[in-house]
Amino acid sequence: MIPSIAPVPATAPANAENADKETDTDAAGVGAGAGAATAAAPAATGTGRGPRAAFGGLFAPRMSSRRLFASPGAAAGIIWLAALVAASLTAPWWLPYKTEDQDFTAILSGPTAAHWLGTDELGRDLLSRIFAAAAGTLGTSLITVIVGVGLGTILAMVAAAGERTEGVISRVTEVMMSLPGTVIILAVIGAVGTNIPVIMAILGVLISAGIYRVMLGQATSLQSQLYVDAAKVDGVSTLAISLRHVLPGLSNTIVVQSALIFAVGMLIQAGLAFIGFGPPIPQPSWGGMIQGASQHVYDAPWLMVPTGAVLALTVLAANAIGNALGKAPNAAASHLPSAADRRRRTAASASAAASASAAAPETPAAPGRLSVRGLSVGVDGGTPLVTDVSFDVEQGTVLGLVGESGCGKTMTALSLLGLLPSGVSVTGGQILWDGRNLAGATETAMAGVRGRGIALISQEPMRALDPMFTVGYQLVSAIRRLRKTGKAQARAEALSLLEKVGIVDAGRILTTYPHQISGGMAQRVAIALALAGRPRLLVADEPTTALDVTVQAEILSLLRTLVKDTGMSVVMVTHDLGVVADICDTVAVMYAGQVVESGRTANILDNPRHPYTLALLAADPHANTAADMPERLATISGQVPQPKDWPAGCRFMARCQFAGSACVAPVPLVPSGSDDGVVRCVKADELAVEGLEWVATEVPARRVPDVRSADSTVSTSSAVEKDRA
Amino acid sequence: MAIYVAKRLLMALATVLVVAVLAFLLVHAMPGSPGAVSLGAGASQEAIDEVNNRLGWSDPLPVQFFGWLGSAAQGDFGVSLIDGRSVSADLANRLPVTAALAAGATLLSAVLGIALGVTAAVRGGLVDRIVGAVCGLAVALPAFWIGIIFVYLFAVQSSVFPATGYVPFEVSPQDWALSLALPVITLAVGGAAFIARQTRASMLEALQQEHIRTLRATATPTWKILYVHALRYASLPIVAGIALQFIGLFGGSVIAEQLFAMPGLGQAVQTSVSTHDAPSVQGVVVVATVVVVAVNLVLELATKFLDPKLRAS
Amino acid sequence: MSIETAVWQDGTAQAPGQPLLEVVDLVVRYGRGRKAAAAPAAVDGVSFSIRPGETVGLVGESGSGKSTIGKAILGLQKSSGGSVRYDGTDITHAGPARRRELGGELRAVFQDPNSSLNPRQTIGASLAEPLRTRGVAAREARQRAEDMLARVGLPREAVDRYPGQFSGGQRQRIAVARALICEPKLVVCDEAVSALDLSTQAQVLNLLADLRDERGLSYLFIAHDISVVQFLAQRVVVLYRGQVMESGPAASVTESPRHPFTQALVAASPVPRPAEQAERRQKREALGVRTASAATAAPGGCPFSQRCPLATDLCRSERPALRTVGASDVACHYV
Repeated sequence: MIPSIAPVPATAPANAENADKETDTDAAGVGAGAGAATAAAPAATGTGRGPRAAFGGLFAPRMSSRRLFASPGAAAGIIWLAALVAASLTAPWWLPYKTEDQDFTAILSGPTAAHWLGTDELGRDLLSRIFAAAAGTLGTSLITVIVGVGLGTILAMVAAAGERTEGVISRVTEVMMSLPGTVIILAVIGAVGTNIPVIMAILGVLISAGIYRVMLGQATSLQSQLYVDAAKVDGVSTLAISLRHVLPGLSNTIVVQSALIFAVGMLIQAGLAFIGFGPPIPQPSWGGMIQGASQHVYDAPWLMVPTGAVLALTVLAANAIGNALGKAPNAAASHLPSAADRRRRTAASASAAASASAAAPETPAAPGRLSVRGLSVGVDGGTPLVTDVSFDVEQGTVLGLVGESGCGKTMTALSLLGLLPSGVSVTGGQILWDGRNLAGATETAMAGVRGRGIALISQEPMRALDPMFTVGYQLVSAIRRLRKTGKAQARAEALSLLEKVGIVDAGRILTTYPHQISGGMAQRVAIALALAGRPRLLVADEPTTALDVTVQAEILSLLRTLVKDTGMSVVMVTHDLGVVADICDTVAVMYAGQVVESGRTANILDNPRHPYTLALLAADPHANTAADMPERLATISGQVPQPKDWPAGCRFMARCQFAGSACVAPVPLVPSGSDDGVVRCVKADELAVEGLEWVATEVPARRVPDVRSADSTVSTSSAVEKDRA
Repeated sequence: MAIYVAKRLLMALATVLVVAVLAFLLVHAMPGSPGAVSLGAGASQEAIDEVNNRLGWSDPLPVQFFGWLGSAAQGDFGVSLIDGRSVSADLANRLPVTAALAAGATLLSAVLGIALGVTAAVRGGLVDRIVGAVCGLAVALPAFWIGIIFVYLFAVQSSVFPATGYVPFEVSPQDWALSLALPVITLAVGGAAFIARQTRASMLEALQQEHIRTLRATATPTWKILYVHALRYASLPIVAGIALQFIGLFGGSVIAEQLFAMPGLGQAVQTSVSTHDAPSVQGVVVVATVVVVAVNLVLELATKFLDPKLRAS
Repeated sequence: MSIETAVWQDGTAQAPGQPLLEVVDLVVRYGRGRKAAAAPAAVDGVSFSIRPGETVGLVGESGSGKSTIGKAILGLQKSSGGSVRYDGTDITHAGPARRRELGGELRAVFQDPNSSLNPRQTIGASLAEPLRTRGVAAREARQRAEDMLARVGLPREAVDRYPGQFSGGQRQRIAVARALICEPKLVVCDEAVSALDLSTQAQVLNLLADLRDERGLSYLFIAHDISVVQFLAQRVVVLYRGQVMESGPAASVTESPRHPFTQALVAASPVPRPAEQAERRQKREALGVRTASAATAAPGGCPFSQRCPLATDLCRSERPALRTVGASDVACHYV
């Protein structure tokens, strides 16, 4: 190809912000296995052991090398490059012929025993010439890499550190990027002759502008990380921050871009040599050799192959390495499964449905009732995320799914719509709605239910709306599609829906883009969008978590009104017990993929039966007024267990204050004694009878308040809970 | 909006000026004075000096530069030192060739590349891997190598396309198209691969956005999600990629023109650099920059128009 | 600002002394140029003070300027007017050298446990950084890092591990450890527990309370959740669109708020008791606070006038001054 001077970022530039987060997830695997220690930490780093510690993070060998060797292409590439470098450096010792040795007996011959790769028009051995040219080519391409990536990185770091300098540098590099690179290079050649190292260095300068752009986004996002703020508060100098906190974060991109620019450099060099601007004769060059070969393409076509192949393989190797390390967009994170994924999913859900339909539904489906029975959701290929969840939602009521992060409430909610992320699917159980089991339904069947039967609103309203289209377009097209009306009528409907959700200036809002309205208003729009198909069930995934508390109160009021007016039911996923108390008629408390308690809200919150619910209420500052605010809040020691660590028995046992020997056996849901409530605890009755409380374990002894004296006497005897990390 | 356009125009003008200065300096660093170049080896020193004085070679550099700039602004780039012909006339003849080549290659790259990239992103699985491997190979093979192979296959083995040479549009539109076919296809191989990669990455990123889930939740048909919403979201980086492609192609057509004997700007650069023909080098560099900057400006404005966030402000 | 005695939660009083931190009429405007000057300020004339050993809560919704104030105090954001005095000296425009000195006494805990620790540095390196910057030797820094980890309830071996190997709550505790490793006098907690689950939030709040009692620290506790602030703070300052609406002892501001905005804020916080919550909801609806609109209020008036049920033309044209009403200071014409 004619490589462009400007390098290609592996992903769209806008994605640079995610770059750092991705690294964290790679290193951390926060979602799945924070407790699992990744392979041994590099031995070099310690605490403050001078430059090694500072730069120990620079190479983060664990992540990159693993990714590198995982890709067969990259591994092959490394081997090829290593071999090529080794061969070219040792060339003088093993080359069978000198580059200028002409053998007139074998001109334009194909591969023979004497000449493994054949000879050219002057009888010179191709193998020798190729490897003789290799060292120069590799070396000078390296110059381009060092100059281009080095300069670009330095400029990006400087620009990221200061707003004013950024403006200047960005302007200058913009000019550089709009130059016709090859033309400029040729003009330079006119001035300095074919001094290849200098040419490649100047090429590097031209390329650095593109590198700068790629790096700038990342460097800026790294500069805005909170740990940089913390370093600034510490008083660390700007330079030290750039070197210690920003540069290591760029290391992966540096390596990727280096590989890609290396390839570009080689191709440009070959191209220049092809048109006669290669190294001065008699030095061989790959481009020059291909030039010679092109003269004989009619009578000796084989001549084209060896040099071309070596050049292509080297470029391929560099590209493979670059691509393996680069953060190529992960197809698995897509919200729309690709055709291949969809085929796989249909097969999987068909088998899940087959096993689930074997169990007859326990309750006959009442109109408008959602019945979930024994629902299990898991990652394809093993790890469960939700096990055996059951609940009912009657028409016109609100069910709360409450729990902390990682309890599986969101996955449960998404499975109701068949919108589980790629790689996650329903592994068992039934979702009974409208006389059908949605758990094993095909995508087509679900498409019929979504919007018209069951609708969705999510946590971040600004992200839930398409930024490229107006609010009006999104609303009107949804109404047209779901209610099969014409355009004018759909627009009228859209206006009325917006008014219904409390937007006063409906006409103007229809013409705005999502980024022009506030978060609260965007959530109202999202609710209007969800109502477009007149659904009978609304799944609300933490709809108010990202909103201010006064706005939250308004949205909750809105939802209550809608439930009352339309008879819609709601499944409200939340972590806030106050929200549950406000709007939910029934609630299911989830912990580690299970429902631990469910029933009427008043019963659950006023008289919790499960120790976890008890603990949550004790830890909640909202549960107290100022007058009776405790000295210390009650806490739950330990952490939520990861799915792979779920015990067979009670999953809360390790952290429970009331745990006993009976808790190691699997615990079923039993009636809790109040209305239709159920609870998953062997001690529930005991707790109810004895009226136990979740105790705050970190209450300090009386402390001395005279803190203005220089040496404050501290007489705390608080037993600080050691975490079982 | 008007202020934005004005600012970009100013930047474009500044770019051209910077390049003009750069070209001027480079040309003066070239070995050989104009007299020596035009009269060749063996000319007497007096003759050389006479030519140099006539051309103002010993005048201070700023004087020479502004003199040249003045003429250039009126379209006069001087005469070639080698054959005495008007540089601007020559470039005017050559520009359409390179423009057709670059535009054609960019267009073909864009169409092919977007189609391939979208397919790879949408179908996933084996198709994705095959497209990825093909693109990887296309990017690794140098264009001139591919070009030679094409010449061999299409012009030598079968006479579908002419191997070399260019036929102007006025002479015969049909032959014009045929003469451009092989060079354009050659350049488009690498270009399509590049754009396919960019498209695939942008589409996948678009599909990771949360609003895609909202679209699914409102029962939007899959084709609409892909080709209306996701593509629209991905259009910004794709257009940026196409712009980069054009810049690269315009400059890089040098090699294609050499290979296919096309009388375009690239050929002009090459000959004038080899022969140290100062006015030609200067002229070509500036003209090439002007074209590239102009196209870049148009594409930038298109991007700004496409992005609602920028359009509204 | 009225002088009042700080009251510890166990009832013992503390005599007033010289404030450790004094913010006087702080103004912060974002951006440069004429357009920025015309836009409303992010922080518009805010004053409050913190005494040694005192915790002051800064409460507000998004756009209230509370985080900006924290950043301005720490020197992460340039202020456009007013002053910040620490221990008597003016630090509003302190240069890098002065900031480095201050960095040992004036420290911070930030909100996001995912980005508050450098994922490529070991915990030990992150903890030691503030010490090493101040010239502490490597070995001693490591020792102190280990001690601090133990104090916040994490194993000493954690010094050699990476942030990615810990949960959000644990990382936040490490962030607290980093803040306290230099023996500071004032710690700015910028939404330090907002991103945590309920049970982890409780752990970190307890930890902050323990450390405060142990070491006599002052906190500037910035949060959007008034109940959380109530747990830790003796005094609360309520902000709306960059201005102080009400400030006073935590108990009176949260139990008997005077300003309409504070009332709305308190009323809107749901409690996990259904019957009580139903009552609160009715009272809140009776308050009659209007929805926030995107349009900004005309400059010069009370920023809350657009939504306030008591608003009159006076409110829209004249900014109310802070007056003492009962135990708190309130900025309202009609209270």
